Amino acid sequence: MEEQFPIIIIAVPLIAALLITALWWFDKRVCLPISIVAGLTSLVASVGLLLQVLSVGILEYRLGGWAPPFGIVYRIDHLNSLIIVAVSLVSLLNLIGSRTIVEKEFQEKVGAFYALYLLFTAGLLGILMTGDAFNLYVLLEIASLTGYALIGLGRRRAPLSGLNYLFMGTIGASLYLLGVGYLYLMTGSLNMADIAQILPTILPSKVIVLAFILCLSGLFIKMALFPLHGWLPNAYTYSPSVVSSLVAPLTTKVMIYAMFRVMLTIFSIDFSLNSVALRLPILWLAIAAIVMGSIMALAQKRLKKMLAFIVVAEVGYMVGGFWLGNRAGMSGAVLHIINDAAMTLCVFMAAGAIVYKTEDDRLSSLKGVFRTMPVSMTAMVVGGLSLIGVPPTCGFFSKWYLISGGMAAGHYGFVAALLFSSLVNTVLFFRLFEIGYFEPFPSGHAHEQQGHTDARNHSSSIAEAPLDVLVPLVATAVLVIVLGIYSGEIVARVIQFAIPAVIG
Amino acid sequence: MRALGLATVFCFGAILFYISFDFPGWGDENSPASQHVSPYYIEHTMDDTSVPNIVTAILADYRGYDTLFETAVIFSAGLACFFLLRIPERQAPPARFYRHLATGITFRIEKGGRLPEDTDEFERIDSVWVPYDVIIGMTCRLVVPFIQLFALYVIAHGHHSPGGGFQGGVIFGAAIILFAISNNLRRTLKRMSEKTSALLGSLGVLIYAGTGILCMVLGAGFLNYSALASLLGVDPVSARSHGILIVEIGVGIAVTAVMVWIYYNLSSAGRQDEGL
Repeated sequence: MEEQFPIIIIAVPLIAALLITALWWFDKRVCLPISIVAGLTSLVASVGLLLQVLSVGILEYRLGGWAPPFGIVYRIDHLNSLIIVAVSLVSLLNLIGSRTIVEKEFQEKVGAFYALYLLFTAGLLGILMTGDAFNLYVLLEIASLTGYALIGLGRRRAPLSGLNYLFMGTIGASLYLLGVGYLYLMTGSLNMADIAQILPTILPSKVIVLAFILCLSGLFIKMALFPLHGWLPNAYTYSPSVVSSLVAPLTTKVMIYAMFRVMLTIFSIDFSLNSVALRLPILWLAIAAIVMGSIMALAQKRLKKMLAFIVVAEVGYMVGGFWLGNRAGMSGAVLHIINDAAMTLCVFMAAGAIVYKTEDDRLSSLKGVFRTMPVSMTAMVVGGLSLIGVPPTCGFFSKWYLISGGMAAGHYGFVAALLFSSLVNTVLFFRLFEIGYFEPFPSGHAHEQQGHTDARNHSSSIAEAPLDVLVPLVATAVLVIVLGIYSGEIVARVIQFAIPAVIG
Repeated sequence: MRALGLATVFCFGAILFYISFDFPGWGDENSPASQHVSPYYIEHTMDDTSVPNIVTAILADYRGYDTLFETAVIFSAGLACFFLLRIPERQAPPARFYRHLATGITFRIEKGGRLPEDTDEFERIDSVWVPYDVIIGMTCRLVVPFIQLFALYVIAHGHHSPGGGFQGGVIFGAAIILFAISNNLRRTLKRMSEKTSALLGSLGVLIYAGTGILCMVLGAGFLNYSALASLLGVDPVSARSHGILIVEIGVGIAVTAVMVWIYYNLSSAGRQDEGL
């Protein structure tokens, strides 16, 4: 049983998605229970897998029983086992909180929604586990396709932003595929470890350099690194809340993992950082992402759009962390993948709960929301403080590693960008708290006296989101703090082994 | 902006062209692609899987896991079309058209009028697309079974000749779509409802994934068909060949059903009432 964990993690959501599509035609109530059981199984298996990796080291699972490089293998090490747990946990938490909103938004398409949800999760989990460059593309395709569909069924401009995402995403995936094609042309292999063994014998080679650049650019589009982020803000703003709180914490992080995997396992870290003169340009791109993401977030009047631009800035954190090329920076980046998944989930779920109640995500409509929705706003505060980087929350610790990485590398531009972004996040969230806390009643009331009392009566009554939304939301907020407390532990016991030993 | 776009495309093309001079020669037997993994497949496929067609063996066995997810991608595409396009509440169109079969007279019945639904004397026709042509309708009806038979042949014969689940499934689906185009959507929906196509779509992928799970339950890894040997009563190598056939059938069913499902939603803009 234990040796089958890698495939259980991904096959169970896949089969559950198929069952839901079939059974939904007979009974509409089966969808959520099946999804939750599948998500739970996946989570349990991924925790089991992490413990296995911690005790025995790197695991390999041969699909179809074929030895690499002839067949496909799953290769699980400290790096991906940790992120697998994070992804399955985020997906499950969001799933538990989804019922009310899904029934309201999708009515007669609930079955298709949950099936797409599970296929999306399965695709991402597969990307994390695979040790095969082409298999990564196939799984990328399934995660993207389901993502486009989920985003496309939002309100207002969602179909257009979904289509825009589809065009950009397809270009990104094609560039990655072209890169893999060049690699196959030059090495004759698709297995990552095998390619890495062959590469030193054919280097230096212009084709390999181009393959590297193509793979990276494809993944940069997919992860929305500035200036290739154009598809992200609208896609995350107009998609249904349940979808944005699934896609926003996961897609960009998994793509950043894929970038790291390509750099680390296919091309080797030495080639990636030193042989191609890309380190500084990409670092400056990351800095631009952080600065521009923060500035654009500042300019937004809608809650979800503001959060979406924060995601753009966060991508810069992690990409920059990896390309600093030292141990502290990379540890910080890996830790930030986990932490950012948790805190992005926290703020997007809280935003989802608020939008569900207020039906409006303009910042100005959030007046008095602390009184009407105390639990959701408390979670928003925790998530916001974490994004700012206030000590007990997890955001502080990964930012600390990233800043010390920047110092160690002597790259003060990156350090300055991080500090700038923290400041901007402070402004963003405290503006939000101010509107929600100190502006107690909506301004739309014409009659001063009459409206005054009415509004106060109205706004002081608690109108929280349903309990099944609040429970996972509170759990996520607690997770953000718990992750912060155990950050040192996570770095010492897991992430430390995920960074290659050559990195000092 | 347009000039910038053209310039970018041109530069990208020029780089790709320039790099192609560093490629191994065309058909070079010493190129890495023909030296490393390929020789293994060419030499061992028959011994490993007892499948003469190497492409099929790589597709459904050596890299069968990729193919499982390719099938899942097709399934997701069908699901995505349904999710985005389907309009569940059936609002009656403003006017409906009926043909009196005996006389050939066409009636236009306004909204709210009494519809001749329960008699055999009238036939409903589409308002914008009226493919009423006896010759085309009849010819296509006659051809459809033969196309379907050929599709089954392509699926079943993938072991020996070019073909397999994807190709066969597409041909089979095309036959049903041909029927829909030459007759009409409602008549096709009566033969194969949306529910049927959704169920078959998930069944097809389920056959593939279920085979993988079955191998796992029987004690080998996921999709390791040799574990089916005890169940099928053959040796492990032939079991791989049988396993490939089983998953190809699954792929065929899934592709057929999803093609038809996508057609239903695209052709009628999700209403599944009138359409091509």
